[in-house]
Formats: sequence, C-alpha cells, structure tokens
Amino acid sequence: MLDPKLVSDLVARYMRDTGLPVPAPKEALYRWAEPLRLPREGPRYLYTGGLYQLMPYIQAMVKYLEKMEEGRAGRLALGLAGRLAGLGGLAKAVARPDKGLVAYSESVLRGIAGHLRRAGVEYAYLYEDDLYSGVILHDLGLDEDFTRHANMVYRRLRERGVESVITVDPHTTHMLRSVYPKYVDGYSLEVKTYIELLDEAGYQAKSGGEAVIHDPCLYARFEGVVEQPRRLLSRSGVEAKEPRRSRRMTYCCGGPIEGLAPSLSKRIARIRMDELRRVSSRIVVMCPICYANLSSVAPEGVEVVDLALVLGEPGA
Amino acid sequence: MPSPLDRVRSALMDEGLQEALLRAATNNQVKVESLLRERPELAEAARRARRAKDEAIGRLEELIDEAMRSLRAINAEPHYAETPEEAREAVARIVGSGKLVVMSKSMAAEEAGIREYLEELGNEVWETDLGQLLVQLEGGRPMHTIAPAVHMTRERALRLVNEKLGANLPEDAGIEEIAGAARRFLREKIVKADVGISGANALAADTGAIVLVENEGNIRLVTTASPIHIAVVPVDKIVPTLQDALTVAIAQAGYAGLYPPTYINVIAGPSSTADIEQVRVWGAQGPKELHVVLLDNGRLRARETPLRDQLRCIRCGRCQFECPVWVHTANNWGGPVYGGPMGLNWTAITWSMEEASKLAFLCLGCGRCDEACPVEIPLSRLIRWLKTQAHRPGRS
Repeated sequence: MLDPKLVSDLVARYMRDTGLPVPAPKEALYRWAEPLRLPREGPRYLYTGGLYQLMPYIQAMVKYLEKMEEGRAGRLALGLAGRLAGLGGLAKAVARPDKGLVAYSESVLRGIAGHLRRAGVEYAYLYEDDLYSGVILHDLGLDEDFTRHANMVYRRLRERGVESVITVDPHTTHMLRSVYPKYVDGYSLEVKTYIELLDEAGYQAKSGGEAVIHDPCLYARFEGVVEQPRRLLSRSGVEAKEPRRSRRMTYCCGGPIEGLAPSLSKRIARIRMDELRRVSSRIVVMCPICYANLSSVAPEGVEVVDLALVLGEPGA
Repeated sequence: MPSPLDRVRSALMDEGLQEALLRAATNNQVKVESLLRERPELAEAARRARRAKDEAIGRLEELIDEAMRSLRAINAEPHYAETPEEAREAVARIVGSGKLVVMSKSMAAEEAGIREYLEELGNEVWETDLGQLLVQLEGGRPMHTIAPAVHMTRERALRLVNEKLGANLPEDAGIEEIAGAARRFLREKIVKADVGISGANALAADTGAIVLVENEGNIRLVTTASPIHIAVVPVDKIVPTLQDALTVAIAQAGYAGLYPPTYINVIAGPSSTADIEQVRVWGAQGPKELHVVLLDNGRLRARETPLRDQLRCIRCGRCQFECPVWVHTANNWGGPVYGGPMGLNWTAITWSMEEASKLAFLCLGCGRCDEACPVEIPLSRLIRWLKTQAHRPGRS
C-alpha cells in the first residue's frame, strides 16, 4: 500500500505543471481524432476529458509505483523523486505506455465518433481544448487544486463557445454533470453521454452474439445511465445478459484504488471477473478504468470489450 | 498496537478471513435483497426511520433533556457522559468491584472500553452474545456491527470454547454444539450476575423507553435477570417517540437480513409490582435499578460538519457487507471499534479524524454503500470529505 500523501503530492504537482495527472505528451489527448478530421465548430462538442487516452499512461505509472512499493529503497527514491529532484527521471520511466492499450483506447474513441456520426448526431471536436477533467484531484480529496482546475477547464470550454458537450466515460460525465456545478460559479453546460444520445436517436448498430454487462458504478448509481446501453445492445442484435450484481447494485472493478493499493484492487477485480465470466465469456464495459482492471485479471478465453466496440467497428 | 493500515495489510494475507468474509457477505447480500423484494413495508419503515432520525438530529439537545426527564419519570436513572472516560466512570460507580457482570453486545460499550475497565477494577465480566463472547475469548475486537465474529470459522470458534471455556467438544463438533457449550457456560453467569449491561437500538425521548432488537435471547436475560441493568446509549440513538424507536428497530432488523427479529425488547423502567395492597414497589422479577448512560463522544459536535448525516445511522451493517473493500478486510479497515463505510465516519466522529482520513483513501468511491443504506446516508460522499481533511495543513 502506498502512502496516499505521497501519491497525492505527485499527482498534484503533475497537474499544476502540465494539466495532466501523469507524465504524457499533450497531443496524446487528441491524436486519436487526427485521421477523422472532425469539424471544429458545431452545436455540440465531443469532450472526452482524456480518460481513455491517459489510461495507458496511468497504467505505466501504477506499474512503476508498484515496483517502488516493493522495497524500502524504492520508496525512499520515490519520495525523493516526488519531493525534491524534478520529476524528469520518473517521467522517463513511465512515459512508455503499452502500445496495445493506446491502440485500444484510440479505437474506442474512433468507434464512438463513428457511431455518433451514423446516428445523425451533429457535433464538433475540441482538439487541443479537450482537456483532462481533473477527476483524480477530486477522488484524492485535493479540493483546492480541483477547484482551480475545474474552473480553468470550464473557462476554456466557454471561451470556445461550448454550451453542450458529449462525454464518453462515466467519470468525466459525473464530473461535468454532477460535480463541476458545485465547484464552478455560474456553471451552465448541457452534458450528455454518447450512450444517451445514441439511445435517444434510436441508433441501431450491426452486431450480434451475447455479452454480459458490467455497469460502471458512476453511470448506474449517480448518472442514471442504466437502461440506455441495454436498449442499444438489444437493438443492435446483442443479447445482453445480467450478472448477479447489476444495474444500481453493480459491483466495482477495483480500479479506483489501483494506484494506492494494487493488490487489494486486483482482489476486487478478480471477484467481479469470476461473477461476470460465469454468465458470459464476453464482458461489455463502458469505462477505460473498468477495461484496464478487468482485462488484467481476465483468464484465457474471456474477452473484455468496450460498448463502442461491441456495437461494431467504425465503418461497419 | 499495529497501525490501522498494518491491520488492513495483515487482513489481506489471512486466507481464512478472506474466505469467511466472502461467504458471509454473499449470504447476507442475497438474504437482504430477497427480504426487501418480498416485504416492501421494510423500505417504508426505513423511510419513516430516516424522518424520525432527521428530526432527532435537528433538536438533539432538546431531546436529550426530554429523554432524561422521561427516564426519571419512569424511575430510571439517567447519567450523561460527554467522553468515553466519563461513561466508564459512570458505569464503574454503579458496578463497583468484585462483582459478576454480564453484557449483551454493545458497540457504545466497546467505544467506551467498559468491559476492560470493569475487569481492571476487579470485576468478572462476560459477553453473552455468542459472536461477541468469541471475540472476548480471542482478545480481539468486533469485526462487524451485528456479526462481531464474522471473521471466524467453525474450527476457530471450536478451539476457543475448548481452550478458554474448557468445553471439551470433539474435533468434529458442529456449530450447534459450540452454541450449546457457550449457552451452558453463560447460563450460570447470567443467573448469578450482579449487573447486566446492554446497549440500545433506540431510546424514545417521549417515554424514556429503550428498544433492543435481537435473535439470541441473551439481551432479554441480561436486561432482566440481574438486580441492576445499565444501558449504554449513544445520543444519536435518541428518537422523538416510542413509535419511532420501534420503527428504527424494524428497519434495522430488515436491512440486517434478520426479519422478523426473534425478539424486540421494550424496557421502560425497572421492574415493579403493585400486587400487594396496590402499593407499587420496585424490583420484582426484573431489575430493581435501571441506569441509562447517555454518551456524546463527539456526536453533538459532528452536527456542525458534513458528518451530521452519519448520525442517522441505524447500525444495520448492510453497507459493510455490500462494500467491495470491507469484504476483504472486515473492521480491520477502520478504527479501534468501527470499520467499513459507516465505520470510517464513526471513527472520525468518535475517535480520530486523522486516522479516519488516512483510511479513507482505500475507499473506491463506488457508491455501493450509498445504495445499500436504508436511511440514505451519502456514505461515499462523506468518506471523500474525510480525504479532504487529510490534506489540511498540519496533517502529515
């Protein structure tokens, strides 16, 4: 188990210096959209908040921290890296994300963009204004830093003329829809997930087979996104199956404490994995954190896939 | 004493504990879920309990005064303790030394360290709830609010009653036999006890009546067999009326998965008889004296913080069984008394904000506890607030 203060200090410093919670190049957030040449202005803006794109970098950071956790010397080195000697060394060590994970995240985002277009949803993309939402600051209780960051993100969005955003993951959705209003004066943005928009549009993708649904905690319990993905799957020809704990009583993948207590996090993921795979060997997720944590404990023959990909590859 | 985080670490290494918790939690989840589906009246009781608790928190000082007046009116003696030390002293003054004392499980008594203190003063003290007795025999602490020995397997319980109570049960003795051995041992203690100590599920301000829910029957015995009964009641258990107190008890039993509860006890004063010449005298078959020790220990102050919502808690323990982290740690994830989602907040209220705020970082923020709570305490939001307290200047 890592010292929460140490991790908080590290994250807060990266956030202050770069606007990102881990060392990663800024363009990592919008590189996925370059081949798509999405419009830069429109009635709604796709705001990813960067969680999918940052997931591979966060994973690399967690692996590094895990190694540090193993030895006292490592912990001391980590403390020094965080507190004194610049973050350069640490940055070099973790700036090599898993290429497979990067490709996966980008394919999910392109999938989402494609589904929205085919559903007739008119939207633009923010490119360099697609900033990280700051969710980790909120989760770590770093309220001062979070307030500053949330206000900065909101200002940038408003300067860009944004009034309505489309979100793609539960954490960013929860931040923009339910948390930002408490931290940003005069906050006014319409926030919808791509799942809600596709459902409202009666979207039907070409897909098939069966899959068990793993509801993300925040969608199911805080944001009312429960039936929409089920309707989308069934309209698209996928038989959606339910684990024992689903909908509002869904069970966490363990991801949120991965950076602080990796072994406990894995135990939680295994419990959930056992429950899901008993129902189907194909598991639908809607969150990059759920994807990373569940796929890391998936036995052979069990596939963890994002909803956007289950609904069909882009262009299908 | 190991640090709270060390306790979490060793819990994760204890495979027996992991297995026992997983089984207990799964059984409880399935049981409560089906109970709630079959009996919609339980959700209604929870809604009414919530309203009663909210009202009580809003005018707690007033209700404390009213409860003390009501207790005096029914010939019971109220004692007010601001701190655990004061509660211990109040109980010690009543008990004295060299006495035989029996207790029914009470987290408030745990909080005040009453058993240990009475033992130090030269009393013989026994827990009578089977789970709590096992915890006493192993020298541990309760691992769940209503199931203190949730971490123990049959084998471990058997070893304890054989070694510590001289039960002489065979290796293959079943759970019934273990319970039987405890019953034989405790029955004699209960009958001879000088003092019985209990907690309370609720205390009605309007009448001074204490309501206690149970299934083992030990609370009935402990609160009636001795000449003196002492109830240790944290002030958040006070509700406006006896009706409210019964509602809280029903909701607690339902969401704990024990419905209908085998017994609900209402105690409004010491026992009395007016059978001879219609003159009422105190002390018939039940106790002659009833003392109620009201314990604040940070609760009134908590009303000025976001933790105010935690005071609604009816201690059903459902948030613990439903929490993905607690299922791997039990109350090892918590302070010296309380653990798990509600337990972190209670730890902050009654023991140490600093320790609670450190432990809060293991919370996933998944909100399953919020969903499980019958009285809609925003548990995960409060735990996140605890994290913010860890970053306040001066906290390292």
